[in-house]
Amino acid sequence: MAYSDFTPAQRAHTKRIMWLLLAYVIVLPPLVWVRANTAVAGYIPALMAIVASIPVLGIFASWGRYVSDERDEYHQALALKRIAVATNATMGAAVVWGFLQAFGAMPLVEAYWIPFVWVIIQGMFGCIEYFTRKNEEA
Amino acid sequence: MENRLRMMRAERGWSQQDLAERLEVSRQSVNAIETGKYDPSLPLAFRIAELFERTIEDVFVSPSRRSSKAI
Repeated sequence: MAYSDFTPAQRAHTKRIMWLLLAYVIVLPPLVWVRANTAVAGYIPALMAIVASIPVLGIFASWGRYVSDERDEYHQALALKRIAVATNATMGAAVVWGFLQAFGAMPLVEAYWIPFVWVIIQGMFGCIEYFTRKNEEA
Repeated sequence: MENRLRMMRAERGWSQQDLAERLEVSRQSVNAIETGKYDPSLPLAFRIAELFERTIEDVFVSPSRRSSKAI
Protein backbone atom coordinates (compact mmCIF):
# COMPACT_ATOMS: atom_id res chain seq x y z
CA MET A 1 0.00 0.00 0.00
CA ALA A 2 1.48 3.34 -1.06
CA TYR A 3 1.73 6.04 1.60
CA SER A 4 -0.92 8.04 -0.31
CA ASP A 5 -3.34 5.12 0.26
CA PHE A 6 -2.93 5.38 4.04
CA THR A 7 -5.89 6.54 6.06
CA PRO A 8 -5.36 9.75 8.12
CA ALA A 9 -5.11 7.62 11.29
CA GLN A 10 -2.49 5.36 9.67
CA ARG A 11 -0.44 8.40 8.64
CA ALA A 12 -0.58 9.85 12.14
CA HIS A 13 0.33 6.46 13.65
CA THR A 14 3.26 5.98 11.23
CA LYS A 15 4.54 9.48 12.05
CA ARG A 16 4.31 8.80 15.79
CA ILE A 17 6.12 5.45 15.41
CA MET A 18 8.94 7.06 13.41
CA TRP A 19 9.48 9.73 16.08
CA LEU A 20 9.37 7.15 18.86
CA LEU A 21 11.88 4.88 17.08
CA LEU A 22 14.14 7.88 16.53
CA ALA A 23 13.88 8.72 20.25
CA TYR A 24 14.69 5.10 21.11
CA VAL A 25 17.76 5.04 18.85
CA ILE A 26 18.97 8.33 20.36
CA VAL A 27 18.26 7.48 24.02
CA LEU A 28 19.38 3.85 24.27
CA PRO A 29 23.11 3.89 23.30
CA PRO A 30 24.16 6.53 25.87
CA LEU A 31 22.21 4.73 28.61
CA VAL A 32 23.84 1.40 27.73
CA TRP A 33 27.25 3.08 27.64
CA VAL A 34 26.74 4.74 31.04
CA ARG A 35 25.55 1.46 32.57
CA ALA A 36 28.55 -0.45 31.17
CA ASN A 37 31.26 2.10 31.87
CA THR A 38 30.31 3.91 35.05
CA ALA A 39 29.46 2.83 38.58
CA VAL A 40 25.89 4.08 38.75
CA ALA A 41 24.10 3.03 41.91
CA GLY A 42 20.97 3.64 43.97
CA TYR A 43 17.84 4.61 42.09
CA ILE A 44 19.78 5.75 39.00
CA PRO A 45 19.84 2.33 37.19
CA ALA A 46 16.07 1.98 37.71
CA LEU A 47 15.56 5.51 36.38
CA MET A 48 17.75 4.75 33.35
CA ALA A 49 15.74 1.56 32.68
CA ILE A 50 12.48 3.51 32.80
CA VAL A 51 13.85 6.19 30.45
CA ALA A 52 14.92 3.45 27.99
CA SER A 53 11.47 1.88 28.07
CA ILE A 54 9.48 5.10 27.51
CA PRO A 55 9.74 5.11 23.66
CA VAL A 56 8.62 1.45 23.56
CA LEU A 57 5.72 2.24 25.87
CA GLY A 58 4.92 5.07 23.46
CA ILE A 59 4.78 2.60 20.57
CA PHE A 60 2.14 0.55 22.39
CA ALA A 61 0.23 3.69 23.33
CA SER A 62 0.33 4.72 19.67
CA TRP A 63 -1.22 1.38 18.66
CA GLY A 64 -4.02 1.96 21.14
CA ARG A 65 -4.56 5.46 19.84
CA TYR A 66 -4.54 4.24 16.23
CA VAL A 67 -7.27 1.66 16.90
CA SER A 68 -9.32 4.34 18.62
CA ASP A 69 -8.72 7.02 15.93
CA GLU A 70 -9.21 4.82 12.85
CA ARG A 71 -12.49 5.85 11.19
CA ASP A 72 -12.26 3.24 8.44
CA GLU A 73 -13.92 0.19 9.99
CA TYR A 74 -12.26 -2.29 7.62
CA HIS A 75 -8.76 -1.10 8.52
CA GLN A 76 -9.74 -0.99 12.17
CA ALA A 77 -10.89 -4.62 11.96
CA LEU A 78 -7.63 -5.62 10.24
CA ALA A 79 -5.58 -3.86 12.93
CA LEU A 80 -7.50 -5.61 15.71
CA LYS A 81 -6.99 -8.96 13.97
CA ARG A 82 -3.23 -8.30 13.66
CA ILE A 83 -3.05 -7.33 17.33
CA ALA A 84 -4.93 -10.48 18.37
CA VAL A 85 -2.69 -12.74 16.25
CA ALA A 86 0.52 -11.09 17.49
CA THR A 87 -0.63 -11.16 21.12
CA ASN A 88 -1.61 -14.85 21.00
CA ALA A 89 1.56 -15.89 19.18
CA THR A 90 3.83 -13.86 21.48
CA MET A 91 2.17 -15.02 24.69
CA GLY A 92 2.28 -18.61 23.44
CA ALA A 93 5.97 -18.32 22.57
CA ALA A 94 6.70 -16.66 25.95
CA VAL A 95 4.98 -19.49 27.86
CA VAL A 96 6.77 -22.24 25.90
CA TRP A 97 10.13 -20.47 26.22
CA GLY A 98 9.54 -19.89 29.93
CA PHE A 99 9.02 -23.60 30.57
CA LEU A 100 11.95 -24.58 28.33
CA GLN A 101 14.07 -22.15 30.35
CA ALA A 102 12.78 -23.50 33.68
CA PHE A 103 13.64 -27.05 32.62
CA GLY A 104 17.09 -25.96 31.51
CA ALA A 105 16.50 -26.63 27.82
CA MET A 106 16.91 -23.02 26.69
CA PRO A 107 19.05 -20.11 27.84
CA LEU A 108 17.70 -17.10 29.73
CA VAL A 109 16.23 -14.42 27.45
CA GLU A 110 15.64 -10.89 28.70
CA ALA A 111 11.93 -10.09 29.12
CA TYR A 112 12.19 -6.94 26.96
CA TRP A 113 12.43 -9.17 23.89
CA ILE A 114 8.75 -10.06 24.30
CA PRO A 115 7.43 -6.72 22.93
CA PHE A 116 9.93 -6.88 20.06
CA VAL A 117 8.67 -10.33 19.14
CA TRP A 118 5.11 -8.93 19.30
CA VAL A 119 5.99 -6.08 16.92
CA ILE A 120 7.82 -8.43 14.52
CA ILE A 121 4.95 -10.94 14.41
CA GLN A 122 2.46 -8.15 13.86
CA GLY A 123 4.58 -6.73 11.04
CA MET A 124 4.95 -10.16 9.43
CA PHE A 125 1.22 -10.83 9.66
CA GLY A 126 0.57 -7.36 8.18
CA CYS A 127 2.90 -8.14 5.24
CA ILE A 128 1.24 -11.52 4.60
CA GLU A 129 -2.18 -9.83 4.74
CA TYR A 130 -1.05 -7.08 2.35
CA PHE A 131 0.47 -9.39 -0.26
CA THR A 132 -2.49 -11.79 -0.06
CA ARG A 133 -4.87 -8.87 -0.68
CA LYS A 134 -2.72 -7.52 -3.54
CA ASN A 135 -2.63 -10.98 -5.10
CA GLU A 136 -6.41 -11.29 -4.88
CA GLU A 137 -6.95 -7.80 -6.33
CA ALA A 138 -4.63 -8.53 -9.30
CA MET B 1 -21.51 -11.61 2.42
CA GLU B 2 -22.67 -11.83 -1.16
CA ASN B 3 -23.76 -8.47 -2.57
CA ARG B 4 -24.54 -6.53 -5.75
CA LEU B 5 -22.23 -3.63 -4.99
CA ARG B 6 -19.85 -4.15 -7.90
CA MET B 7 -22.74 -4.31 -10.36
CA MET B 8 -24.46 -1.23 -8.90
CA ARG B 9 -21.20 0.69 -8.92
CA ALA B 10 -20.53 -0.31 -12.54
CA GLU B 11 -24.03 0.85 -13.54
CA ARG B 12 -23.10 4.33 -12.39
CA GLY B 13 -19.67 4.20 -13.99
CA TRP B 14 -17.88 4.68 -10.68
CA SER B 15 -14.47 3.29 -9.85
CA GLN B 16 -13.83 1.73 -6.44
CA GLN B 17 -12.02 4.94 -5.53
CA ASP B 18 -15.06 7.05 -6.54
CA LEU B 19 -17.35 4.95 -4.38
CA ALA B 20 -14.85 4.99 -1.50
CA GLU B 21 -14.75 8.80 -1.59
CA ARG B 22 -18.55 9.02 -1.58
CA LEU B 23 -18.75 6.65 1.38
CA GLU B 24 -15.76 8.23 3.16
CA VAL B 25 -13.99 4.89 3.47
CA SER B 26 -10.80 3.53 1.89
CA ARG B 27 -10.68 1.91 -1.54
CA GLN B 28 -9.50 -1.28 0.18
CA SER B 29 -12.74 -1.28 2.20
CA VAL B 30 -14.85 -1.07 -0.96
CA ASN B 31 -12.85 -3.89 -2.53
CA ALA B 32 -13.15 -6.07 0.59
CA ILE B 33 -16.93 -5.52 0.73
CA GLU B 34 -17.42 -6.15 -3.00
CA THR B 35 -15.49 -9.40 -2.87
CA GLY B 36 -17.39 -10.53 0.23
CA LYS B 37 -14.25 -10.64 2.38
CA TYR B 38 -15.56 -8.04 4.80
CA ASP B 39 -19.11 -7.54 6.04
CA PRO B 40 -19.76 -3.86 6.69
CA SER B 41 -21.28 -2.63 9.93
CA LEU B 42 -24.98 -1.79 9.88
CA PRO B 43 -24.34 2.01 9.73
CA LEU B 44 -22.03 1.54 6.71
CA ALA B 45 -24.48 -0.86 5.05
CA PHE B 46 -27.20 1.81 5.43
CA ARG B 47 -24.87 4.46 3.98
CA ILE B 48 -24.20 2.23 0.96
CA ALA B 49 -27.90 1.51 0.44
CA GLU B 50 -28.85 5.18 0.81
CA LEU B 51 -26.13 6.26 -1.63
CA PHE B 52 -27.63 3.97 -4.28
CA GLU B 53 -31.19 4.86 -3.18
CA ARG B 54 -31.98 1.22 -2.51
CA THR B 55 -32.80 -0.88 0.53
CA ILE B 56 -30.12 -2.91 2.31
CA GLU B 57 -31.75 -6.10 0.97
CA ASP B 58 -31.32 -4.78 -2.59
CA VAL B 59 -27.60 -4.44 -2.04
CA PHE B 60 -26.75 -7.35 0.26
CA VAL B 61 -27.96 -10.92 -0.05
CA SER B 62 -29.14 -12.32 3.25
CA PRO B 63 -26.99 -15.40 4.05
CA SER B 64 -30.04 -17.24 5.48
CA ARG B 65 -32.19 -16.56 2.39
CA ARG B 66 -29.33 -17.56 0.15
CA SER B 67 -28.90 -20.90 1.95
CA SER B 68 -32.67 -21.57 2.02
CA LYS B 69 -32.79 -20.93 -1.75
CA ALA B 70 -29.98 -23.43 -2.20
CA ILE B 71 -32.05 -26.05 -0.31
